[in-house]
This record gives sequence, structure tokens and C-alpha cells, in this order.
Amino acid sequence: MASLLKRVQSKMFIFAHRKTLGLLDGEYGSVFKGRSLDFDELRAYTPGDEVRDIDWKATARHGSPLVKRYVAIRRQTVLLVTDTGRNMSALAVSGEAKRDIAVQALGVLGYLAHRHGDVVGLVHGTAVGSSTIPPRSGEDHLERLLQEVHRSTTLDGGPSGIGRQLDDVLRTFKRRMLVVVVADEVMPDAGTELLLRRLQARHELLWFTVRDAELAASNPADAFDVADGSGIPAALAGNAAVRAAYHQASREREQRRQDLFRRLGIAEGRAGSSTEVVAALFAMLERHRSRPPHSTGGRAAGRGQQRAG
Amino acid sequence: MELTFWWVLPLAAAAVALAFFLAARRRSTHDARPVAHGERLTALPEYRRALRRHRRWLAAAVASGFLFIAATALAAARPAERTTTQPELRNRDIILCLDVSGSMASTDAAITAVFEKLAKEFDGERIGMVMFDSRAVQLFPLSDDYDYIAQELATARKAFDDGGDSFFSGTWGGSGTSLIGDGLAGCIRSFPAAAAAGGEDSKRSRSIILATDNYVSGAPIFTLEQAAQLAKPRNIRIHALNPGDLDYGGRKDQPGARLRAVAEASGGSYFAPDSPEAVPGIVQKVQEGEATALKGAPQLIVSDRPELPLLAALFAAAVLLVAAWRIER
Repeated sequence: MASLLKRVQSKMFIFAHRKTLGLLDGEYGSVFKGRSLDFDELRAYTPGDEVRDIDWKATARHGSPLVKRYVAIRRQTVLLVTDTGRNMSALAVSGEAKRDIAVQALGVLGYLAHRHGDVVGLVHGTAVGSSTIPPRSGEDHLERLLQEVHRSTTLDGGPSGIGRQLDDVLRTFKRRMLVVVVADEVMPDAGTELLLRRLQARHELLWFTVRDAELAASNPADAFDVADGSGIPAALAGNAAVRAAYHQASREREQRRQDLFRRLGIAEGRAGSSTEVVAALFAMLERHRSRPPHSTGGRAAGRGQQRAG
Repeated sequence: MELTFWWVLPLAAAAVALAFFLAARRRSTHDARPVAHGERLTALPEYRRALRRHRRWLAAAVASGFLFIAATALAAARPAERTTTQPELRNRDIILCLDVSGSMASTDAAITAVFEKLAKEFDGERIGMVMFDSRAVQLFPLSDDYDYIAQELATARKAFDDGGDSFFSGTWGGSGTSLIGDGLAGCIRSFPAAAAAGGEDSKRSRSIILATDNYVSGAPIFTLEQAAQLAKPRNIRIHALNPGDLDYGGRKDQPGARLRAVAEASGGSYFAPDSPEAVPGIVQKVQEGEATALKGAPQLIVSDRPELPLLAALFAAAVLLVAAWRIER
């Protein structure tokens, strides 16, 4: 199989300018609000860096913006959490498999982490069970993660249930880390919401949504539900009344989802195709950085700061 | 009700089974789009409603499809009705061949009276009338114009009753009187010529009702037997009525015996009524005898009855079209 990481990178470079990638690096670097006071080095300012990190005195001396770096943010652990149940092998809005978009998102994130010198781990699985690849660094490791996700997401895989993975993350990983959940448009139920709340308290939590295929599209085609194999005839999906009701329901559900993530203080990004991934990730990181300080994440940051020190 | 090509039905069943098998195979390779969270669409009440409607139309389409196939297969198998009929004898030609010599008048009157009555009930039969004494005269040719016949018969009956000489004047003037053989020959000749040639008329049965006492006085061109010979190739039966059978002894050359021989040789019958009153009964008997003798062998009639299956197929096709239109929409 061709290298998935290469594929991810090529797409990433096609759909993002150099500048944007730099921005992305900056955004990624500022994900952790918690900083130690252990000064590490000064480096040139990269767009996306926190303005308050700029060392103004040094900048004044040097002539161009310089940013202070601290030891604590040098080596982070990034935990990619993704659903590899059969839902993810279904189609996304763009008509690609959701798995491919997930791999793209995971790949871009993993690559950013790799460039940043961070270690990347993976928790994936179905409602039946999760499997974990412990955090490690290196492109080979990253490639292995992507292959694992790609390989285990099949139509005849287990049913999807991201709650299981969240639970396992909560149980297994005690140390504070950056947790990025890549899943489809699941509507978190009460139990999942609780898990998210707890995860949010312990880790930096981000949620990346791969948008599901529209079930009642204007050009309907025969479809089947991957959950139970039941068919959805094009004639029914194309029915005007059904479409109107579906779109109404979709709008309402999306609103509730947005409200939920806002309430939990989790930055959420959405992509419907692999070409949108870079921009969506950027937006997600940006949202994460600018989230209101009164959220649970703020409190967690305080604790993290102590531990890092 | 039976099927002419019964093997069409198993053939159609096999074709349907094959179609099902192929459809089932195609279904397994049929690629629909895999989607997740299908319940977000399928749980909608609008979808449920549309699905119910869809299912109803599908059921209608399947049912009408089956009905269509079954009905067309049934029609293709040619359902036929097998009936046996005894064709009634409507296509008869009868010529009344009446000897109008004086002694026969009352019998002739009785015969004409009977036929006058019968003509009113006839339907398809043709009657002609020839009277003869020394010459044969055709009173009217074979005809199914029953009003005309009845009118002619009435005229003749009146003449027989009243002895109106002028009516019979054409039958005189030959050499002698009561030239029975010539008269019979004349009667036989008054059947259409085409009858012998095997045309439309040859399918009609032919009979002559010959009323005579067979007392010849003169020199006929044909003897009775010679005239009867003419009848044979034309399949003409001769029914003889002899009111004056005065034979004595059993000798074959007695006039009555000769007449009987001629009549029975032609397949007809011979009667010797005692009085004119007995004539109607005899004619009736002849009529019925004719009817039973000529009531052809029971005929098997096999007629196709595709109406019902074809109507059903038409109905099914209409339903199928509507259902297909509704399903595709």
C-alpha cells in the first residue's frame, strides 16, 4: 500500500499555502495554554503565535519579533482518538469514504505534531472495543497509525460507538495531553457528554467532525445503512416532503450539536471532504485558542501549569 | 375449459423462476451507497409515510406483474372451450313433386296444406314445387322466400280443392297422361345444377316428396326407375306418398311395389295413406325422419376463449404502469 502519510502530505501541500502551513504550525504550537516558566529559547515569531508570548524587549533589540519558548511546551503528547467502526467506512458529504477524510485529518495533525517534536498515540475502535497504539515519535510511527486506521475501518467492521474510545482514553491516560477526537456527526448522548466533560477537565480536547453524506440529496441514489444493511430507496430519499423534513431535522440536530460543544467548551472543526481538512483544522485550532477563558479548559490549564512546573 | 398449449404454463413458470434467480444474483452485486446514521432519515414520520406508500405501490406492482405474467401465459396457452353440437338441419332443399292427375287432387291438397303451414316455421330450408301430369311444370323454384312460397302453396291448394283446370293446363299436352318417370325426372332436374358440381349447394341435403299413384298411361321418356337413377348421383332422397296403393299380390312389378322400391333405394321412405287426412301425419313423419337421418354426427367445436385472461392482463398492465410511474417518482 502506498504511503498514507505521503498522500496526506501531498494533499496538505496542495490545499495549503506555505504561509498557511506556517500559520497552522503556529496555531498548533499555541494549543497548550499551560506554560512553564522554564525559559528555553527565543525564536522568531511565527504568525499564529500568541501575541503575549512575544518578548518585546528582545524584539526591540533584535529588530524583528521574537517569541519566548518554554520547556513545558516542547514535548507534548498528542492522542488521536478516532472511530474505526463501520460508520466511518460510509460516505461523507463529498462522496469520499469518511475514513479517508479521517485519515487526512489525523495525518495532518500527526504531521504537525511530528514537526513540533511531539509524540503521537492512537486510540481507535468500535463500540465493541478499542485498541491503543502508545504515543511515539517519528514518521514511521505516524505512518503506522494511519495504516492502522485505514485498515481497520471496513464496512463489515464493528458498530461505531465513540463513547467506548472516550471511556478508554479516560481510563488509560492520566497524564495531561492533547486529545483530538476524529469522528462523524455523532450526536453525543448524556453518557458521552459526561465523558467529554471529564476528558475536557483532564486534557486539551478537540473534536474534529467528518460530515456525513446527505441522506436526502437533490440527486438521490439508492443507499444502504451500514449499521444494519437496510436499504434507502432513491425514490423515497428524493421525495420532496421527506427531503424538507430531513433538512429541517438536520439543521436542528446540527444546532444542538454546536450548542453542546459550545456548552462543553470544546472547539469543533468540520470537514466534508479531504480538501477542506486543512482549513477546517486551522479553524478548529483557532477556535480552541480563542475560546472563552471561563471554560473548563481554563481551569485544567492552571493545573497543567503546576504539573509542568 | 381446457388449454391447447398447456406446456406454455410450466415454460412461463420456469422463465419467472429464472428471472427471479438472475434478479437475486444481480442484487448481490448491486452497489448502493453506504451511508451512516440512516435512522436519521428513516425514523422521520415523513419517511415512514413515504415508505408505506412506496411499499403499497411495490406490492401493487409485484401483484400486477405476477397477474400480468400469469394472465398472458394463460392466454398464450390458448384456453379453449370444447363443445359438441348436433348441427340442426336447416340447410335442406325439398321439392314437392306432385302428380296432378285427377285421382291425386285430395292428397296434393293435403300435402300443400301441410307445407303451407310448415313454411311459416322454416328457417333456412328451401322449398320448390313441381307438378306433373304428362309434362312437368315448375310452379315455383327452390326458394326460401317463405311468404312467396306460402302464397303459391295457397294458390295451389285452392286449385287442388276446386279442381281449377286452368291452373294445371301446362301439365297437359304430352303423349299420354301421368308420365310419372318424366315428372320425377323433371323434379330431379329442378335442383340447381351447381349441386352436382360440388358448390355451395352441394352441402345441402336434398329430398323430393313425390305424391303419385304410379299409374302410368302413356309412353314416358323415362321410366320411374330411370328417373330414380338420375337422383342417385345427386344424393336426392325420394319420399313417396301413394294414396292409391291398390296392389294385389306381392309381385315386384305392381305399381305400388315399384314406387316403394324406388323410394327405398334412394334412401327415402314409402307411405300409402288411406285417406287425405293421414297425409299431414305422414309429412310430419317424413320431416322428422329427415331431421334425425340428417342430424349430422355430433360435431366437436373447439373455440378459443382468451377474453378473460386478456382482460386480466390488460388490467394488470394498467396497474403495473401506474405503479411503476408512482415508484419511479
